[in-house]
Amino acid sequence: MSFDDWYRQDRLPHIYCAGCGNGTIINCTLAAVDQMGWKKDDTVFVSGIGCSSRAPGYIVTDSLHTTHGRAIAFATGVKLANPDLHVIVFTGDGDLAAIGGNHFIHGCRRNIDLTVVCMNNQIYGMTGGQGSPTTPKGCLSSTTPAGCAEMPFDLCELAIAAGANYVSRWTSYHVKELEKAVKVGLETPGFSFIEALVQCPTAFGRRNKFRQVADHVEYLRAHSLLKAKSDRLLAEGKPIPEDMFVVGELARRNRPALGVKP
Amino acid sequence: MTRIEFWQGNTACAEGALAAGCNFFGGYPITPSTEVAEIMAAKMPKKGGVFIQMEDEIAGIASIIGASWTGARSMTATSGPGFSLMMENIGYAAMTETPCMIVNVQRGGPSTGQPTMGAQGDMMQVRFGSQGDYAIIALCPANVQEMYELTARAFNLADQYRVPVFLMADEIVGHMREKIIIPDSMPQIPRRPLVKGTLPFKAGADLVPGFPQFGKGYGVHVTGLTHDERGYPAATNPQLHEALVRRLVDKIENARHAIADFDIINPDAEQVFIAYGAPVRTVQQVMHDHPDKNIGFLRLRTVWPFPEFALREFKNVKRFLMPELNLGQMAREVERHVRVPVVSIQKLGGELTTPTELVAALEAPL
Amino acid sequence: MKLAIDETRCKGCNLCTKVCPYKIFKEGKKPNRRGIVVPELDRPERCTNCRLQHLYGRTLCGVCQLTCPDQAIDWIEEKPYELKKVAIEY
Repeated sequence: MSFDDWYRQDRLPHIYCAGCGNGTIINCTLAAVDQMGWKKDDTVFVSGIGCSSRAPGYIVTDSLHTTHGRAIAFATGVKLANPDLHVIVFTGDGDLAAIGGNHFIHGCRRNIDLTVVCMNNQIYGMTGGQGSPTTPKGCLSSTTPAGCAEMPFDLCELAIAAGANYVSRWTSYHVKELEKAVKVGLETPGFSFIEALVQCPTAFGRRNKFRQVADHVEYLRAHSLLKAKSDRLLAEGKPIPEDMFVVGELARRNRPALGVKP
Repeated sequence: MTRIEFWQGNTACAEGALAAGCNFFGGYPITPSTEVAEIMAAKMPKKGGVFIQMEDEIAGIASIIGASWTGARSMTATSGPGFSLMMENIGYAAMTETPCMIVNVQRGGPSTGQPTMGAQGDMMQVRFGSQGDYAIIALCPANVQEMYELTARAFNLADQYRVPVFLMADEIVGHMREKIIIPDSMPQIPRRPLVKGTLPFKAGADLVPGFPQFGKGYGVHVTGLTHDERGYPAATNPQLHEALVRRLVDKIENARHAIADFDIINPDAEQVFIAYGAPVRTVQQVMHDHPDKNIGFLRLRTVWPFPEFALREFKNVKRFLMPELNLGQMAREVERHVRVPVVSIQKLGGELTTPTELVAALEAPL
Repeated sequence: MKLAIDETRCKGCNLCTKVCPYKIFKEGKKPNRRGIVVPELDRPERCTNCRLQHLYGRTLCGVCQLTCPDQAIDWIEEKPYELKKVAIEY
């Protein structure tokens, strides 16, 4: 069995634009789920609203496509009411960090046994490219025509501070690493948060000098700084370059978790 | 064995829910509904259910919708401001046909208003609060006994019609202590499961599709987008959208005779009171004090879908009088259905309509 | 096993051309019936997975399949080699 068996074949091809990284992230997540050996009957995918949140509709398991930002709250209900189910949440940066920020930090605080995969494309893709809470400073979007003036969220730092058991960040370039990270997240009891930076050629790349999909993926590759290297730089007292972001396993701990099957 | 208790309305609501097999409560504390959550927190875990205090009312209703899809009988309790927050997800529950039970112990509004005072200001919001056309069921208890019984019935209605069902109590009933006779058991009508191999959102003659519970191998996709009978999004199909929304409304409206629960007293009277919730008590007092006056009374326990056929039972009626703790929200609905005058007896501020006020309205010239 | 691109799913983003260590995927030249320029395969028999998947019993490499956002890349079973009679004309 491969991850391809988890797709609703009658619904493909999906609605994502050409070159959108979301499909890659779904592949990696499903590959990890497939390796866990879980049955389709006892796995549930939950999502909110946005490009990323269309993902559960393409997966053969029971799936809940809910209201904007509330995916983690719905998933909390599913998981607590039936702890036998494996619940995975697909979400995006706007869904998770803006409208759903409160549910996100409280999900981390409760440390409820969910795996949250956030496809962070740093923009509101589905509504046409408005600035999101993770749009980097200076980046252009349809609501920040002179460059984003606000500082972005670091979602992983937020999850760590709020108490998630497992936190890691990868990009759509690091498919194998991402697959492993999701698998570790699925294995970890408690709240697992995996942030996957993805390219959005239609809404983000077009305005921010990534005319080709590959250019953006190459940017993500070149600007990701491995956790080990970042630790080394910090130990040596050297600064971490401002345009780099740390990728890798950022937190793994064993706080008491909620909703774990007894 | 039946037993007798002296309970607060909110206690009766929580106990009624437990008697009806409620096994998931997700909520957020808000005056004057907090007691429901407190009792649930104490008793639910002992019964093997789940109590969770969510971060806000939005998450509260989201969690009970999620729980409902795993087969749980789920409920939340709130009041005005929390109810307003819930609106989007109430629409979601209606669109996805999720059975769930929402208690609204109404308080004075708008906004924060009067947290500790009763009102009936959410009667239109409960019906039309979320965007788009949909239909729900709303029940109104007038005493502690009904708090218990209607709560239990609400779960059955929710499961039977796959719709959010509301218990529209008010602070007066919620915080009132009264004698209550607790029956041995409450009837439980389980959800009809989906027949394997049929489409998850294809309904039969009753317009209510079978329930594809999560974890049972249905592989159902549930979405708040306009969806076809397979559950797949089809948001740009005009015919499909119309058929879906009409079915969502018709499944409740067509069943209003079966859902309706009301008492008719003195159907031959010329002057007829219509009341629901706490003002029922004032009308009862007036009828008790004035047995000489031939007063008719339509006492509603189901307010939505509105049982308009009950109004036609009063053949000689010259005037309907409708005491409400709002500015005539349901009186407007009654006016839609009758040709005689409807006098709206309005009261705001948190106190119950007095018998004197009702008698004055009764004695006013026709 | 044979590497194949499902033309009904491919949206022509050319990400596969960047990730294959053997550079099997090449940018296409002609748009297909849906107006999408689907990448071409350059000697796909070089793919490790094509040759060794059966031997190892698992997917080797497989980065192109994981990366493809449109689930268009897959390995399809080939018919076992059959001897054919060839009529040689002198």
